[in-house]
Amino acid sequence: MAKQIPEVDIVVDEKAGVIREVQPEKKLRSKKGHERRVNATIYTILILMSIIWLCPFVFLVLQSFRGESGGQVAYVIPKQWTLDNYRFLFEGAAFSVQLLFKDTLAVVLTVVSNLIGIAGMVAFLRRKPKNPIEKSEGNLKAALLVFAALLLVNFIRCVDSSNCDFVRWFMNTLIIALFCAVIQTFMVLCVSYALSRMRFKGRKLIMNVVLVLGMFPGFLTMIVLYYLLKMLGLTQAGAVPGLILVSCASSGMGYYISKGFFDTIPKSLDESARIDGATRLQVFYSIIMPMAKPIVIYTILMGFMGPWGDYVFASYVAFGHKASYNVAVGLYRWVNTNDYQGYFTRFCAGGVLVAIPITLLFMALQKYYVEGVTGGAVKG
Amino acid sequence: MKKILALVLTLVFALSCAGLASADFDGEIKIWVAEATVEFTKAQVEAFKAEHPEYANMTVTVEPVGEGDAASNMLTDVEAGADIFGFAQDQLGRLVGAGALVDVLPENAEIVAATNDAGSVSAVKMGDVMYAYPMTSDNGYFLYYDKSVVTDPTSMEAILADCEAAGKSVYMEINSGWYQTAFFFGAGNTLTYSTDDTGAITAMDCNYASENGVKALKSMIKLAQSPAHVNGSSASNATNLGAIVDGTWDAAVVKEMLGENYAATKLPTIDGYQLGGFGGFKMLGVKPQDDEDKLAACDALALYLTSEAVQTARFEAVGWGPSNLNAQQSDAVKADVALSALASQLQYCIGQGQYPGEYWTLATALGDDILADKYDAYTDEQLMEVLTTFQTTAGSYITK
Amino acid sequence: MNDLDFLKLSKPQKFLHNLKKFIVSIPGRLMAAIAGLVMWVVNLFKGIGKGIADLVMTYVRGDWKTKVSYTVMGFGSMARGQWLRGILFFVFQTVFNLYLAFFGINYLSKLSTLGTVETAKKGRVTVYGDNSFLILLYGVLTIFFVAAFLYTWYVNVKQNKISEQILKSGRKLKTAKDDLASMVDTQFHKTLLALPTLGVTLFTILPIIFMILVAFTNYDNQHQPPQKLFTWVGTANFETLLASDSNDLGIDLQDKGNGVTTMTITAKNGDIITVDTTDAEAAAAADALAVDSSANFASEVIGQDENGKDLYRFTFMGDAGEDVVLEASNWIYVATPSFSHTFKQVLLWTLIWAFFATFLNYFLGMLVAIMINKKGIKFKKLWRTILVMTIAIPQFISLLYVSKMFAADGLINGMLMSWGWITEPLPFWTNTTWARVLIIAINVWIGIPYLMLIATGILMNIPADLYESARIDGANAFQTYMKITLPYMLFITGPYLLTSFTGNINNFNVIFLLSGGKPLAMDLAGNAGSTDLLITWLYKMTVTDSNYKLAAVMGILVFVVCAVINLVVYNFIPSVKNEEDFQ
Repeated sequence: MAKQIPEVDIVVDEKAGVIREVQPEKKLRSKKGHERRVNATIYTILILMSIIWLCPFVFLVLQSFRGESGGQVAYVIPKQWTLDNYRFLFEGAAFSVQLLFKDTLAVVLTVVSNLIGIAGMVAFLRRKPKNPIEKSEGNLKAALLVFAALLLVNFIRCVDSSNCDFVRWFMNTLIIALFCAVIQTFMVLCVSYALSRMRFKGRKLIMNVVLVLGMFPGFLTMIVLYYLLKMLGLTQAGAVPGLILVSCASSGMGYYISKGFFDTIPKSLDESARIDGATRLQVFYSIIMPMAKPIVIYTILMGFMGPWGDYVFASYVAFGHKASYNVAVGLYRWVNTNDYQGYFTRFCAGGVLVAIPITLLFMALQKYYVEGVTGGAVKG
Repeated sequence: MKKILALVLTLVFALSCAGLASADFDGEIKIWVAEATVEFTKAQVEAFKAEHPEYANMTVTVEPVGEGDAASNMLTDVEAGADIFGFAQDQLGRLVGAGALVDVLPENAEIVAATNDAGSVSAVKMGDVMYAYPMTSDNGYFLYYDKSVVTDPTSMEAILADCEAAGKSVYMEINSGWYQTAFFFGAGNTLTYSTDDTGAITAMDCNYASENGVKALKSMIKLAQSPAHVNGSSASNATNLGAIVDGTWDAAVVKEMLGENYAATKLPTIDGYQLGGFGGFKMLGVKPQDDEDKLAACDALALYLTSEAVQTARFEAVGWGPSNLNAQQSDAVKADVALSALASQLQYCIGQGQYPGEYWTLATALGDDILADKYDAYTDEQLMEVLTTFQTTAGSYITK
Repeated sequence: MNDLDFLKLSKPQKFLHNLKKFIVSIPGRLMAAIAGLVMWVVNLFKGIGKGIADLVMTYVRGDWKTKVSYTVMGFGSMARGQWLRGILFFVFQTVFNLYLAFFGINYLSKLSTLGTVETAKKGRVTVYGDNSFLILLYGVLTIFFVAAFLYTWYVNVKQNKISEQILKSGRKLKTAKDDLASMVDTQFHKTLLALPTLGVTLFTILPIIFMILVAFTNYDNQHQPPQKLFTWVGTANFETLLASDSNDLGIDLQDKGNGVTTMTITAKNGDIITVDTTDAEAAAAADALAVDSSANFASEVIGQDENGKDLYRFTFMGDAGEDVVLEASNWIYVATPSFSHTFKQVLLWTLIWAFFATFLNYFLGMLVAIMINKKGIKFKKLWRTILVMTIAIPQFISLLYVSKMFAADGLINGMLMSWGWITEPLPFWTNTTWARVLIIAINVWIGIPYLMLIATGILMNIPADLYESARIDGANAFQTYMKITLPYMLFITGPYLLTSFTGNINNFNVIFLLSGGKPLAMDLAGNAGSTDLLITWLYKMTVTDSNYKLAAVMGILVFVVCAVINLVVYNFIPSVKNEEDFQ
C-alpha cells in the first residue's frame, strides 16, 4: 500500500518566486472546494461506467425471464415474466442416487476412486506434523478439501443428464474445467520450478523455443490436433477427454507468470534446506509450494475458467455429436444457427446459469487473480 | 470429533451417491437432420425397422445437425460424418466435389425420378448422375406480412410506405446470394453454372453486366435506403415485423408473432417488375461406404425417409412442403397458407441449380457493399462497372 | 549529435530524434537476429560433426561391450551392472524398431509424393486409396521419432565411453538406486520437464511443423483426403498471397467468327482485360506470351476513337520474340479482388486494431485505476467489483449478447428510435467504419478492467515521496501524471505492452463473437471481411472454406509479423532486466 502522503501546506508563490507557507484555514477551504468538485466528477464518471458495465448483464438476466416470444425483441422489460426458459434447460434431467449396475467398469472406477479419496483423507488426518498449529488447522482444512472434492465427484456421477442437453453440456464443461485446473496447474508448476530454480544445459533454449512457438496462431493447428485426437479415439463421442488432453498437453508453455513468482522467492531458502540434506523434490513441495499458494490458486483459477469459453476447438472436435458439446458450443448454436428459432431467451437463461458460478468463484478469488496479472504484467 | 464427522459424512455420501451415468452406445448408422425433425426422424426409423425385418437389429442414431451446417461438418472429416444427412441444395456441389456423397442406387434413382417433381429431380443431379434424395420442395421464399399494417402486398413501394407509416420494419436479406436473385432474376437476368458428373464447374451463363442488371441493383439500393428496411431473413430475430421475405420453415414463428394478422403471399413487384428468385430443395444424401451391406441399408433407409408417406408425415409434423408429387396433391398441403404462397411465387422462379461455394460469398460482398451505402451516389456507368466485376469474378470460379 | 546537443532539443525534437534513431536501428537489429540464427545453425552443425567424430573414436577405442552397444542399445550399461539404464535403452530401441517396421516406414516412404493410389469405386462401394493427410502427419511423426532415436542412440554410446573412463580411473559406476535418487535431486529438472516437453512436442511442435509443410502443398477443398490426394507444390501458395502486380499473364482466345477474336488477358493478381481484336493480332500476342510467360505487358492511352472512348495501346514484350502491339478501344478492364491486395488490407486493419486495442485500453485503464485509487473516493472495492464483471463472465455469453444488442433492429437501435433520437437504425455492423469503431469500443469495455487491476497494483508501488516532492515543486495533477505516473508505468509494463500488442494481433474472440469479420466487400477476396483480423480470416479459410494451404501460409505470415515486432521492439524496452536481478 502507498504510504500516507503527508499533508504539506506549501504552495508556490509565483510572483514572489519563493515558497512560503499558507495559512492553513484559508487554503483548506479552497482546496476542499476543488477537491469536492474533482471527486464529484470522478463519482459521476464511475457511476456512468458502472451503468455501462452492468447494463448488458442486467438485460441478459431480464431477457432470461421473458415469457412472450423466444426470439429477439427491441425492449428490455419483459411483458410476461416466466421461469419457463430455465425450466426448459432442466427438462429431462434427473438426479439418481441408487447404484445403476449397467457398466461394471464405471462401478469399479467409482468405488476405487472413492476408496482412494477416503484413504487419502484418513492419511491426512492421521499424519503427525512437526508443527502443532498445523495439526489442528492444516489437517482439518486438507480433509475438508478432499471431502469437497469427493462430494463434487459423486455429485457429477449422480446427475443423469442423458436426456437433458443443457445439464449434459454443463457437466461436460465442469468436468473439463476441473481436470484442466488440476493438470494444468501441475504442468505449469513443474515447468516454472525447473526453469526458475535450476540451472541446466538447454534452459535458455527451452525458454526461447516456447517464446517462438507462442507466436504461431493457435487455430492453424486445429485440424492436425483433430486428427491426432482421432487417432486416439478422442473425437466426437470421446471429445471431453480429448479436449482435456489438448488443453493440458501444452499448458506447460504458460509457465511465465508463475516462474516470475518463483524468481522472487529468495534462493537462499533452497540452499540452506539443501545443506540440511533435503533433495530438490523435498525443497519443491515443502519449501516452495507453501510459499507459492497465491500463484497456485491463480493458476487453478485460470485453468478452471478457460474451458467455459472454449467454443472454436470444442465445436471442431465434437461436431455432429451433441452429447459431447460444452456449454459454449451448445449455447452458441442456439443463437447462431437457423435451426433453433426462438431459442434466444433460452440462451440468456443458459448464459445466466453459466455466468453465476464462474463470477462468484472469480469474485471470491479475485485477490489471487490480481496478484497473478500484476506480477505477470510487471515481468512481461 | 470433527475428524469423525467428516469421515462419516464422506463414507455415507460415497456409498449412497455412486450413481452412474449410462455410457453412450455408437450406432451403426448415423443420421443428421435439423433439430426440429430429430424426434420425427427417430419415429420414422422405428417404422422403417418394423417394415424391414432384415434391418430390425440395426442401431440408428439421429443427431441434430441442421441443413446449413451439415456440409461444412461433413467436409471437416467425411469419415466421422453422418452416413445419411439432410442438406440444402446449395451445398450439393461442395459435397460431391469433396467426395462426401455416393451416387444414388440406380433402382432408387428411377423411383425418385418417377415420384418427385421435375425441379427437385434435376436439383439432385450433377450432370447425369443423381447424388441425393429430394426431401422437400419448399426451399424457396415469399412474403409474410401483417394484414393490419400492409394494405397492398403486391408492390414493394406500397409495403415500404405502409410499414414506414406504422413504424414497422420490412425484412429482406440483401446480402445473400439466395435472396439477391429475387431482384436479378426478376429484372430479367440469368446466372447459372453447368457442372460435370463430379461436381466440377464447367461453364457459366451470366448477364448481370447489362441494363437489366443495373435495374436490379438500383432496386436493391433503393430498398436498402428505405428507413423501413432491415436486412435479415430470420423471423425469430426480427423485433419489429411488418413484412418479411422468408421461407416455410419460419411459418410457425411468424404465425405466433402476428396472430390473427398473419398472412402470406407471393413476392411483390418493385420498380414495376415482379420479384423472382430461386425455388430450392432440401435433400438427403448418403456418404460413400466401404461396406456393401451398410451401403444397402443406407440406400433403403434414405429412400424410405424421402418416400411419399414420410414426406406427408413430415409435412404434418413440422410443415415442410413435400417434393413428392402425390404428397403435394394432399388437401392439407394445398390448404397451407405458407405453402400456397410459395406455390404462387414459384411460377416466377427458376429451379435452383448448382453454384460454386465462392458465388455465395461474392453475393454477400455485393450485398454488404449495398448495405454500407457504398453505391448510393453511383452513376449507371459506375454500377455497370460493379456488375462487370461481379460477373467476371463469378466467371473465374469455373474449374473445368 | 552528442548528449549536450540532445538536451538542448525541444520535446518534439527529442521524440523525433529518438524515433529516427529507433527506425535507423531496425535493420541492424534484424540483421543481428538473423546473424544470431545463422551462428546457432553453424554451431549446431559443428556440434553434430564433433559428435560423429566422437562416435567413431569411441568405437575404435572402446571395449567389446561398447562395440556391441552400437547395435544393441543398452548392452554396455547392462553388462556393467547399470541394469536400469540398460533396460530403458533396450526397451526404447525395441519399441522404435517395432514402430518403424510396422507403421513408420510405410508413411516415411510415401512422404516424398504424399501418396499415389487414388480412391476408387468398385461398383458403388468406395475403396479408399492413400490418404495424403495421414501420410504427411505420420511421416512427420516418424521423423520426430527417428530424431529422438538417433539422439538416444548417441547418448547410449556416450554412456559407454563415460563408464569406461570411470571404471578405468578406479571409481564406481552409479547404481540403479543412485539413478532413481538423482531423478528427484540433481536431475530433478528432467523429471519435471519430461511430461510437459512430451506434451508440447506432440501437441504444439508437431502440429506447427505439419502446418508449415502444408503451406508447400495444394491441400484445399479440391484436394481433400480421403477422397482426393494432395501433393507438394513448392512456394506457389506464397506467391498467391504475396504477389505484387506480377507480370505473369494468362491469355485466353475465343474465336467469334468474321475474323474477330475475343482475347481475355488475366494477370496473376486477378485483373482481367477483355479485348476484341483480329485473329492475327490475337495469335501474335498469344505467341509472344507462349514463348515467355513472364512477358512484360504495358498499356497506355494513345487517344480517343470516333465514339469518344479511350483508345488503348497494349504492348506485349516477350524476351525471345518481337514486341506485339495492338490498339483497341473496345477493351473491358476488370480488377478482380486478389489475395495479395486483400492480405494487405487485412494486415493493415489488424495492426490498427492491435494499436487501439492495446493503447486505448492501456491509458483508459490506467485513468480508471487512478480515479478509483484517489484518496477520498469511497466504495473502491465496489467499483472494482462492478468493472471486473466483464473478466469473470465468459466472453461467449457477454460478447454474443452485446453483438445482438447492436443489431440493425436490436435493443440499442430500438431504444434510440423509441426515444426519438434517430429515425433510421444506425448501421452498427453494416458500415465498415461504424463496425470497426464499435468493435474497438466494446473491446474497451472488455479490456479496461484488466488494465485497471494491473495499474492498481503498480500504482501502489510508486514511492510516495516522488509525489511528495512533486507537490512541493508545485506540480498539478496532470504534470504529476506526465512526469511520474506515466513514465513509471511505461517503464514497468513495457514488456507487457509488447506481449499485449502481439496478443491483440491474435485476438480471435472479440472479432469472431462480435462481427464475425463482417461486412464483406467486393474488393476483398477469399471470404475476408472488413473487420477480419488475419487470425479470423485464417479461421474462415480453415473451417468455412477448407483452404488449408493458404491458411498455412497465412499462419506463417502472422508468425513473421509477430516475430518482427517482437525482435524490433524487444531491445527498445528499458525494463528488460537481467532475470537474476530479481533473486
